[in-house]
Amino acid sequence: MTLVENPFFVLGLSPDASRIEIEREAQKLLGMLELGFEAALTYTTPLGSRERTPEAVRAAVAALRDPYQRLLAELWARHAPASLDEAPPPPAAASSGLRKRLGWRP
Amino acid sequence: MFALPYIAFIRLHRAALDARRRVRTWQYYAYSVAAGLLAGLLVGFALFASYYMVLAGVWYLAAIIIAFFVVPPLQPVLQRHVLVPLGAVRTSFWIAHFVSMKDSDAFALCCAAWAHAGKPTGAGEAWIIERRDKRRPLGDAEIVVTAFLAAGRGDAATCRDLLRSLDLIVENHPNVREVAGEWLAVDAADRGAWGEIAASAAVARYPASALTFLIEGIAAARTGGAGAPGAGELRARWLLAPHRRVTLGLLPVDVAAEIPVRPAASEPPAETPPERPPLPRAVAAHLHLANRAANATGLALTVQAWDAALSDPATRDWLARRALELDAPLGAADRALRDVASDVTDELARLAEAAGLGAPPAHGLVGDALARRLRHGRLDALEAAFTRWAARRHDGAVRAPIDEWREFCALRTAYDAAATAGGLELRRLAFPHAYSTGNSMAVWLWNTRSEYALSHAISRWLLAEALTVGDAEAIDLCSRNCKLSVPTRTGTVKG
Repeated sequence: MTLVENPFFVLGLSPDASRIEIEREAQKLLGMLELGFEAALTYTTPLGSRERTPEAVRAAVAALRDPYQRLLAELWARHAPASLDEAPPPPAAASSGLRKRLGWRP
Repeated sequence: MFALPYIAFIRLHRAALDARRRVRTWQYYAYSVAAGLLAGLLVGFALFASYYMVLAGVWYLAAIIIAFFVVPPLQPVLQRHVLVPLGAVRTSFWIAHFVSMKDSDAFALCCAAWAHAGKPTGAGEAWIIERRDKRRPLGDAEIVVTAFLAAGRGDAATCRDLLRSLDLIVENHPNVREVAGEWLAVDAADRGAWGEIAASAAVARYPASALTFLIEGIAAARTGGAGAPGAGELRARWLLAPHRRVTLGLLPVDVAAEIPVRPAASEPPAETPPERPPLPRAVAAHLHLANRAANATGLALTVQAWDAALSDPATRDWLARRALELDAPLGAADRALRDVASDVTDELARLAEAAGLGAPPAHGLVGDALARRLRHGRLDALEAAFTRWAARRHDGAVRAPIDEWREFCALRTAYDAAATAGGLELRRLAFPHAYSTGNSMAVWLWNTRSEYALSHAISRWLLAEALTVGDAEAIDLCSRNCKLSVPTRTGTVKG
């Protein structure tokens, strides 16, 4: 189970949500997705926004109906930070163009 | 009769250049000045003679004199400033024949490939490949030619790897090595790897061209290495080197005051606040590692964090309590710990493999599993690759010598990467299989394919590895193999 596909993030719910809340939220999201509501098209994870699909919503609610799967999902969702600071891109060993200026390619 | 002094001057000019390739001391400047003066005299005399030939109306003799007596001393200048920018492959090839006596095709092909890299064309590449493939057995020139062909295709990494692999090849054309060394020095300067240049210069890995000598001086000044040239000496090197306008910008303003440039420190590890409980800290460290370029420190911190979190009584209590509240099946808490450890190990192993990192020295649910996973995965991949390589002796698949060399270089790179990541323990486990297959291939290449330099290179590499892991039997056999006399185009080399 990857963190970005965690059922709680997909449904946009807290790990404390009850079974009824989960079912209700899933139905609401499926309806919004069917009607193409922009607010329902993405969900937030600590690693940034991801696309929400009806399949992902159905898979999430199915996972949370299973007590063991819910335990695993809770372990990750409850202890994950809200968001990560945007990391700067790793320094690339880019060419300075010196090679070409000294008559060598590429 | 009148040509005799001229021929003597030509021999002196070549002798000065050859002598320069062997030194990196004050004599380098003396030989450079001598070679320059002799070249000036040769060109002056020949131009003077051809002028009188034109006045006498025999212009065709003037053309012959220029072709045979002016062009050879000017070959290095013509090659660098005219033929390479024009991409004149065939002209480079033929003119380079004038400047080397023994196995002149070797340097000529390198000059042709250099010109091709300057302005690549399909026809030029095909022409060079055809001539290269006719040369058997494989030697240093064929490897340099192949490297420059890769450079012509824009593949600097392959060019770099091939040129670096010359270290193992016993055949030695000094002028070929000089060109190879210059490409590597310029490439390292281009990447800002001044420490790499200084290390190579310290062991005089390649004969130094004037440009290489200058770059090495700049590298020594920048890294603050021992024997770094002073400002005056650096200026002298700059004067001798080509492309002065470009290299002027590389010279330190004040060599004495130049601050050593250290290699950039790796990204600081994703530290998490110490007041966090173990499990949130582990999840945060994991996300940081997955979200950035993984490095050894970050991986070690993440593994430690997970090991601490999964063995923390608070984590176990929380899992047990939640499993009860959720009405999860019996043993769900223990199973969840194992599953999380397994998922985390999978993810960390994937990140470590991608970044070529070794297993950190951590012991716990994640640390132990990760070490096992990485070691087994790398050993399996290495063994499979070496087995495939050795199997070709029996399946009759004969490849061109340069392809044999490239395959060996790829295997060596994979072995080195695995050994670097896995440490001496993995090296000891991987060596026996690499030794048995590598030794079989070396024998086959020597006896059946007559690829002496290639076979000798494999034996040298195996000997170095055997010494590292302390395998007495392998040391004995590889030492004997390395002592064999290797026939090359530059003469038989005693191992």
